[in-house]
Amino acid sequence: MTVTRGRPLRGEPEELDIRLRADASSRRPVLLAFGSAIVWLLIGSAFGDVASLKMHLPDWANDAAWLTFGRIRPAHLNTMIYGWASLAMLGVSLWMIPRLVHTELRFGRLAEVGIVLWNIGLVLGIAGLLSGRSDGLEWLEMRRTFADPWFVVGGALVGLTLLVTLMLREVGHLYVSVWYIMASYLWFPVIFIVGNWPTWRGVESAATNWFYAHNALGLWLTAINLGAAYYFIPKVLGRPIHSYQLSLLGFWALAFFYALNGMHHLIGGPVPEWMITTSIVASVLMVIPVLAVAVNHHMTMIGRFGALRYSPTLRFVVLGAIAYTAVSLQGMLTALREVNRITHFTQWTIAHSHVGVYAFVTFVLFGSMYYIMPRLVRREWPSARLIRWHFWLVLSGIAIYVISLTIVGVMQGLALLDPQTPFRRAVEVTIPGLWVRSFAGLLLTAGHLVFATHYWMMTRGTRRAPESPPFHEVRPILYAPAGEIVEEVAR
Amino acid sequence: MFPSSLVVVLTGLGFGLLALAAFAWGWRRGQYRDLSAQARVIFDARDMRLDRPWETAQQRAERAREFGALEPAPPGEWGEGRSSDEGSAR
Amino acid sequence: MTRAWLLMLGALAAVGFATLILVVVPALMLVDVPRPPQLRPYTLQQARGRAVYIANGCIYCHSQQVRDPAFTTDVDRGWGSRASVPADFVYDRPHLVGTMRTGPDLLNVGQRLPDANWQLIHLYQPRSVVPWSIMPSFPFLFEVRDSSALPRGARMVNVTGRHAPPRGKVVVASADAVALVEYLLSLERDYPVPRVAGRSVAAGGRTVHTMP
Repeated sequence: MTVTRGRPLRGEPEELDIRLRADASSRRPVLLAFGSAIVWLLIGSAFGDVASLKMHLPDWANDAAWLTFGRIRPAHLNTMIYGWASLAMLGVSLWMIPRLVHTELRFGRLAEVGIVLWNIGLVLGIAGLLSGRSDGLEWLEMRRTFADPWFVVGGALVGLTLLVTLMLREVGHLYVSVWYIMASYLWFPVIFIVGNWPTWRGVESAATNWFYAHNALGLWLTAINLGAAYYFIPKVLGRPIHSYQLSLLGFWALAFFYALNGMHHLIGGPVPEWMITTSIVASVLMVIPVLAVAVNHHMTMIGRFGALRYSPTLRFVVLGAIAYTAVSLQGMLTALREVNRITHFTQWTIAHSHVGVYAFVTFVLFGSMYYIMPRLVRREWPSARLIRWHFWLVLSGIAIYVISLTIVGVMQGLALLDPQTPFRRAVEVTIPGLWVRSFAGLLLTAGHLVFATHYWMMTRGTRRAPESPPFHEVRPILYAPAGEIVEEVAR
Repeated sequence: MFPSSLVVVLTGLGFGLLALAAFAWGWRRGQYRDLSAQARVIFDARDMRLDRPWETAQQRAERAREFGALEPAPPGEWGEGRSSDEGSAR
Repeated sequence: MTRAWLLMLGALAAVGFATLILVVVPALMLVDVPRPPQLRPYTLQQARGRAVYIANGCIYCHSQQVRDPAFTTDVDRGWGSRASVPADFVYDRPHLVGTMRTGPDLLNVGQRLPDANWQLIHLYQPRSVVPWSIMPSFPFLFEVRDSSALPRGARMVNVTGRHAPPRGKVVVASADAVALVEYLLSLERDYPVPRVAGRSVAAGGRTVHTMP
């Protein structure tokens, strides 16, 4: 591969070559993961819209058992967590690890099988929920008998593929994103099995339930997405992360403190006090890794915020990272007993959880996909306009969602706190917020439809740009501004 | 209050010591040396030479000084889509 | 860092440590939670009802825990006369303590609303007894049948007002609805906290405040 303009490019051919090979090796499993993730995103959005509407239209569509709120709501949560987010994360991991360790993905077919198995588990699990088959634990509703094993095996296959690729790597240094990703593939099966263990009962059951659910947030959803943010922010900016030492500290602090947080979901509950106190302390200690991440990202971005106008990847990932800081600080605040007595059991919790799983996790996943897809399908996204629509729809949607539910949640909490205020008041005060949330949900769904359409266009090549080369050519020709011809360089 | 508390405390300490030992071992083996080089493993020479439209003249000059003459980025490099209208959106 | 296995070891140590603290230790401790003599295990019907509760996601709007009156106002609100303790949940597999109060706490609902007929009507159509309620109705747990063609032992539900069935028809509760109500009626955890000599595990390690 040669460049016809003067200056020789040091070490280029091998580096570009390995990138092309890494991308080629991960292409099929990643596209499978992303494609299925987006299908679940749409299904989950539909479930979310229905659930939201039912809260303020309680007599709507109740004749069929599968549509009752109590089944649609967990169907929404499980579809979004294990369908959309987890599958997109499997895809991001499968793309990033080969790139980061400069090695082709080994046993990519095995990863594909794993993704198919995961999807089968989802179909069975969600169908089960809608037909009333639930294990009864929040975040673990899908049946441990006929649904969960598919996730364990499928996830293990993907994890194994990544592990083998890691072991056979060509590079010495493991970038911090590798730590986050590989650690989460270890963490997730451990917590999943502990959480699903069928013998827990009583308060043990409550404690292990929230041990799992909080760690699914922190050691699975958060970890992989922090790994993605640590990669895409410096990569797009062309600047290394501000302080690598800080990222070390941040990773280990996250690993040790996050896992102890779970009991803060049970403050005031019948769980032994010392466990709750441990979790509150650990929640406050989370300020260390959270600030480490925030400082690192901010200092890396400083002076370059203009990049947000040009790069959708950066736009989504940086806003996502800011949301991570916000949701973590929010969480620390609400872990304090004095605040918790107002916010617990209210719509505030729902708002808070969506800052985490949507404004942070989902945004980072959107940003990651905007970066990864052109490199997999070897063409740029067909429409800047669709990207803009997507961005503004989901940004306005989540902002309205969070603001409305936070406000009514606090009002609800204050009403619940006053024994002289009848319970009726606590219900009525939320209704306007519930209507606004339904509207926000529709904005989000619209954004997802735009994104899904664009993704489909991207993978089908229906909008072929006249000056872009056909994608199957390995070395297409690009025209540099000065009119010189340079050969294709890997992105 | 704790049943067999000695066992629990020892196991907990065991984990902590394990973590500490792993860290110390890593330190001695040079795992934490040259961290700024580790921060750069995700880049190659070309990444650093791409002309980024959001950078100021000074930032561009610095970049060119350190890495060589800047190259234009291929379309879609930053995850952006094709604009059918004006090219300046890029 | 270059040693992948070092990373893995550290990660495992971190999650192992947390599992130890939040799972293993409590499991060892809570093995001794006494079964209160006033609390019977669920009967077959009640257990079936509990399964219906789970299958229809009641937990997403209702909690089952009374918090300490020194901390907050659950007791003042009339949801129980004392904070709930681990002993109250010994027969609960899985737990249903819940995290949302879109609807009221149900730990003592069997004591507060002990009328099975009221419960059935409320399940069929909450707004016929609580006009401001946003609880979904559960028509699929019932059948509207001709009053002339009822099977033996049919559990009729006396729904009146604008949600009443048309003339000549009557609302009949399904076996699931009847079981669910039996479960709800079994929810009473107001007996005195069982004492176990030398241990505060029964009370979760706290001083349990009760209504004076």
